[in-house]
Amino acid sequence: MIGADLDYYRRAQRGELDLGWLRDSRSEWGVKATPSRVGLTLRDISIGSYGEVPDRAPLRTMAPRGSDVDPDVPDMGYTINDKAEVWSDNLLSLYEEAVSRQWSATRDIPWSELPELDPDLEHAMCQLCTVLSEVEMVAADFPAKWLWRINHDFIEAKMFLCTQVMDEARHTEVFRKRALANGGGLGKSKAVVEQFLKLVLDAESYDEGSALMHLLGEGVVLSLFRAGEFLSPSPVEKKIFRLCMQDEARHVAYGTMHLRYRLERDPSIAEDFHGYLDKGEGIIAMLFTTPEVVEPTTILAAGGLAQAEDLAMTAANVVRGNVIHEYLERCEHAGLPRWDRVTLPAEMLADVPGLQGRAAERVQEVMA
Amino acid sequence: MNDFADDGWFARLPAVADKDPETFERLGFAELRLLFEVIDGDDIRRFGLVLDGYDVDYAGEIADVDAFAADTIVTGPIDAWSEMAANIAAHGGADKEHTLNCLTMAGVPLSVTAPDPMGRDKFFRYAETLQALFDGTAPEPAVA
Repeated sequence: MIGADLDYYRRAQRGELDLGWLRDSRSEWGVKATPSRVGLTLRDISIGSYGEVPDRAPLRTMAPRGSDVDPDVPDMGYTINDKAEVWSDNLLSLYEEAVSRQWSATRDIPWSELPELDPDLEHAMCQLCTVLSEVEMVAADFPAKWLWRINHDFIEAKMFLCTQVMDEARHTEVFRKRALANGGGLGKSKAVVEQFLKLVLDAESYDEGSALMHLLGEGVVLSLFRAGEFLSPSPVEKKIFRLCMQDEARHVAYGTMHLRYRLERDPSIAEDFHGYLDKGEGIIAMLFTTPEVVEPTTILAAGGLAQAEDLAMTAANVVRGNVIHEYLERCEHAGLPRWDRVTLPAEMLADVPGLQGRAAERVQEVMA
Repeated sequence: MNDFADDGWFARLPAVADKDPETFERLGFAELRLLFEVIDGDDIRRFGLVLDGYDVDYAGEIADVDAFAADTIVTGPIDAWSEMAANIAAHGGADKEHTLNCLTMAGVPLSVTAPDPMGRDKFFRYAETLQALFDGTAPEPAVA
């Protein structure tokens, strides 16, 4: 237990300064960061010993990396002490981009220009907003749950995850606001959606949760945001979806490059990640067969309920095809190719462009 | 309308950012090398757009595609590009059928490809900046 040093207090009162910190510091002196054209970025200050991130954190403290640390600092009990567990090569630039590209759901959306919609379209938009408002907050809860367990030496990863928490709060906010802004209100919340959220939140490791959330879940939502912009009945919703799309793409960029960093350093854990995604894909398949998730986009794409019955699932199939294609490409880029492993039913893969390997064979078998 | 590829439309993009720095600073940093391919029969013309920080560093025709090293490539027939430009000009910005995301969502009339998924995802990461740039090519409304 540290007690107050009253002797020092009395000496200092008399002007007898200690100055040990001034004369005898073991941190690096003479390191001068130069701002880049947009200001002083994390990359600009990643210099000298301050830019060296240890593969294994030597201590479990909140001491700033590169500082001269007291030998008797308390143990903070961090459980994530290996850099590879949270790092990605694009972290520094993603953090700066996230801070720079923040926006306000109150100020930046032209709410006063929201037009009155046909009731079926309004209902469809509100149901889509209900699902999105529901799923977005897990992408804040999950990093928040793990943030305090991540060693302070990986502060850039923690800072990026903090931006994600803020992004997701804003997404939850903007979709809740849209649902309430035009007389529709919130729609149905389905158990299957909650099952996926629970899978992410209950993940036993950061590895598992990050694969499920950053790579799979947010990849799906990114495609849904693209579809939302495409289907939006007015410029107001279009702007909402474009702004959300930007944020979500940053999270997916972190997730993909984090997994790549992780697997490059320990390829032996690839099978663990396949297992996590096997489970996640099972629930994603259930989402693709949930009317509350699928049908709003169908109605919005068709421009109305009657037209949707004529068009059937054409638009939903295009969206699903893009979702799965982009997800499988990201898996491959991360070093975890799943063309032979993807567990989604073959019928759901039929509209996926550029299908390869066993997945393509499964589709051919079903079609035959 | 079909003189789109020759009329310097892409070359006007730096001026759009220069004219309204407040909007582009509020939208935030971007770091992107985007290649536009305009297909006219057997002819393909290529235009590059380089975003760096808050600025448009370059926008214009590209002779050496490999040296340009695009993150993302948006490809489509000249008629689609021309229609988009005309729509932006007519409405003071793209209407709901002519935003970049709308035109590329289904792969037609424009398609997005990239050397890797990270490059393609950059097209989404800067979606609002790109749309604001494109919308900024619309002529300013005449003052009565």
